[in-house]
Amino acid sequence: MSERIKEHPVLGVQEKGELVKFTFDGKEIEGYEGEPIAAALKAAGVMVHRYTQKEHKPRGIFCAIGRCTDCVMVVNGEPNVRTCITPLAAGMDVRTQYGVSDQPFDEQ
Amino acid sequence: MKRYDLIIVGAGPSGLSAGIEAAKRGLKVVIFDENEKPGGQLFKQIHKFFGSKEHRAKVRGFVIGQQLLDEADEAGVEVVLNATVIGLYQDKEVVVKRGGEIEHFKGNAIIIATGAAENMVTFPGWTLPGVIGAGAAQTMMNLHGVLPGKKVLMLGSGNVGLVVSFQLEQCGCEVVALVDAAPRVGGYGVHAAKVARTGVPFYLSHTIVKAEGEECVTGVTIAEVDSKFQFIPGTEKHFDVDTICLAVGLSPMSQLLKMAGCKMEDNPKRGGQVPICDEYGRTSLPGVFVAGDVSGIEEASSAMIEGRMAGIAAAEYLGYIEKKDLDTELAALDLALDGLRQGMFAPKNRGKAIEQTEEGIAISENLLLHGYVADEEIERFPGVTRRSGVHPVIECTQNIPCNPCQDACRKGCISIGANITSLPIAVEGADCINCGMCVASCSGQAIFLVDEDCGDGTATVTLPYEFLPLPVEGTKGKGLGRDGKVICDAEVVSVKSLKAFDKTSLLTMRVPKEYAMKARFFKAV
Amino acid sequence: MNSVNDRSRDIGPFVPGPDDDMLICRCEEITKGEIRKAVHDGMWTLTEIRRYLRTGMGLCQGQTCSRLVKGIVARELGVSPAELEPATSRVPMRPIEMKIFANEAPDEREDG
Repeated sequence: MSERIKEHPVLGVQEKGELVKFTFDGKEIEGYEGEPIAAALKAAGVMVHRYTQKEHKPRGIFCAIGRCTDCVMVVNGEPNVRTCITPLAAGMDVRTQYGVSDQPFDEQ
Repeated sequence: MKRYDLIIVGAGPSGLSAGIEAAKRGLKVVIFDENEKPGGQLFKQIHKFFGSKEHRAKVRGFVIGQQLLDEADEAGVEVVLNATVIGLYQDKEVVVKRGGEIEHFKGNAIIIATGAAENMVTFPGWTLPGVIGAGAAQTMMNLHGVLPGKKVLMLGSGNVGLVVSFQLEQCGCEVVALVDAAPRVGGYGVHAAKVARTGVPFYLSHTIVKAEGEECVTGVTIAEVDSKFQFIPGTEKHFDVDTICLAVGLSPMSQLLKMAGCKMEDNPKRGGQVPICDEYGRTSLPGVFVAGDVSGIEEASSAMIEGRMAGIAAAEYLGYIEKKDLDTELAALDLALDGLRQGMFAPKNRGKAIEQTEEGIAISENLLLHGYVADEEIERFPGVTRRSGVHPVIECTQNIPCNPCQDACRKGCISIGANITSLPIAVEGADCINCGMCVASCSGQAIFLVDEDCGDGTATVTLPYEFLPLPVEGTKGKGLGRDGKVICDAEVVSVKSLKAFDKTSLLTMRVPKEYAMKARFFKAV
Repeated sequence: MNSVNDRSRDIGPFVPGPDDDMLICRCEEITKGEIRKAVHDGMWTLTEIRRYLRTGMGLCQGQTCSRLVKGIVARELGVSPAELEPATSRVPMRPIEMKIFANEAPDEREDG
């Protein structure tokens, strides 16, 4: 959790929900309930959220407010979920999106 | 289909302000906002706002946001969140996506206050994870408490680029460079100065050649550009970074208005595609009004006043108030708005290269090229005087509408006068009691308390400090000049954090006396 | 006739540029070169470019690339971006799933 701001000089200590477990590509990681999935992933050091359909290029957070759709991932089996505005819930299954699927391209 | 007197799209500063004014006059108001939280960009602004008391100067953005929400609640405004307005029709019907459903609403009047979206700039590697908008950095840091990265390069020297760079540093990120293709810093000099004195180098007339990395950003190359914005060979500079922040301007999000059939124009001075409207927000469609950035990119302070105007104009349109009351109220708000639209950065002065202040003093060239006022330029300005004993040194060198410093001093040491864009003057003969209120009240963090000669070969400098960890008394370190370079040894004499200072701590450091007018920041070793 | 849309104007041949492989539409992965070539294929308005290439038709619905595409097309046509009509704005303003778009909230929940 080294990428979280513990105490902010102006905002102080920010209130967070309960610490919960979820999985990212099958690996268990922790995050705070209610925060955007993307925030929990960033805190865990994840940069790549998906690979594009045509050129298989990596994409991650860009606008962070749900407009650009670059941060979309497959969440609980559903693709194109904007992780920067979707709140994290305990037990969520979050997967890297390849095109519009959670299967790597050579397995599609 | 549910009907409201007034439907407002967007619960940012202008939308909320409009809702408050309309509801206070008896209208049934609803505000739809697509986000999870209201307040638009306000809750991401942790710095103190400029202007005067009526413009809520000295108050931090997120505090203003909460004040607006409380006022809206009190006035009975219905704010509906997670509600995306996906369509606006000519007959003032609004289509909203909420949850998994579509709902239709009719408004007798509509105010569009949808704000603006960030511009893009392209370069090889711009789609790599790690390239983010400046707004994204703010959202991550200030709303979610997560660091966007550890080493950042900021592209853009407008107010957004400058303010976000400082905010990144406040969270513990290292801003390795602040870059802009333009030849001069675009935002307020005081914002640039507070970034420069922490050691961030400014590279004007430079832009990004490419972002490097396979899976995400690992480095970036910049180079100097000529007057035609072509790269000059041999001027490349490389930085190891994990994040590149883009702060290259905003464009109004005016598509709803276009959809509804409002007359639009492409106005570069207002930021792009904007509705044609009068000064009170009336568009070419009767009953449809606009307020805030969607009608022209400015500041949150102007957005709030425009919102209030549109709310009152909507009330008159629907017959809730008389035209003569409308005229009186709008005239007063017009005056307040006009007060903000003065000075060097006024919309009317956009694009002009201003060489002198209103007082006839030459603007600091160094500030515009490198982000800080040079030692030999600083004493030109009326806020900077030399005298014995502790006295305020006000390094405010450009005309911007702002005057909290004048009100902060009970002893009359600082004077601006009726024209709030005037440069602050350090008043001769005034009795400074070293209370520190001026240092804490300056939204630009441009005021210092200096005792030029303590009698033992040293001087003390008190500066505004908004970083963690707070150093303790006795900490030895270095004094940095306005350019952010180490210039002398320094020792912390005291660190004061009073409630009245509102999270701006006052750090007093002792430096060799020849650096009294040079040392402006402290770094522990 | 509006000179921008006067198709008898000669805008010259397509000249390859050094940054033609720069991605412009992030969602549909369309490059600057493809947009420039489309202009020379006869697509002179932003609505035509959008239908021809799908710029602005991806997941973000043009939120990110619109202004960039406008600038590129304008430069290719030799006009200022301000002279180009933006692509037609239509409902929905934001990306929306078909099943939601078709899901009208029941009337009895709303007041008359």
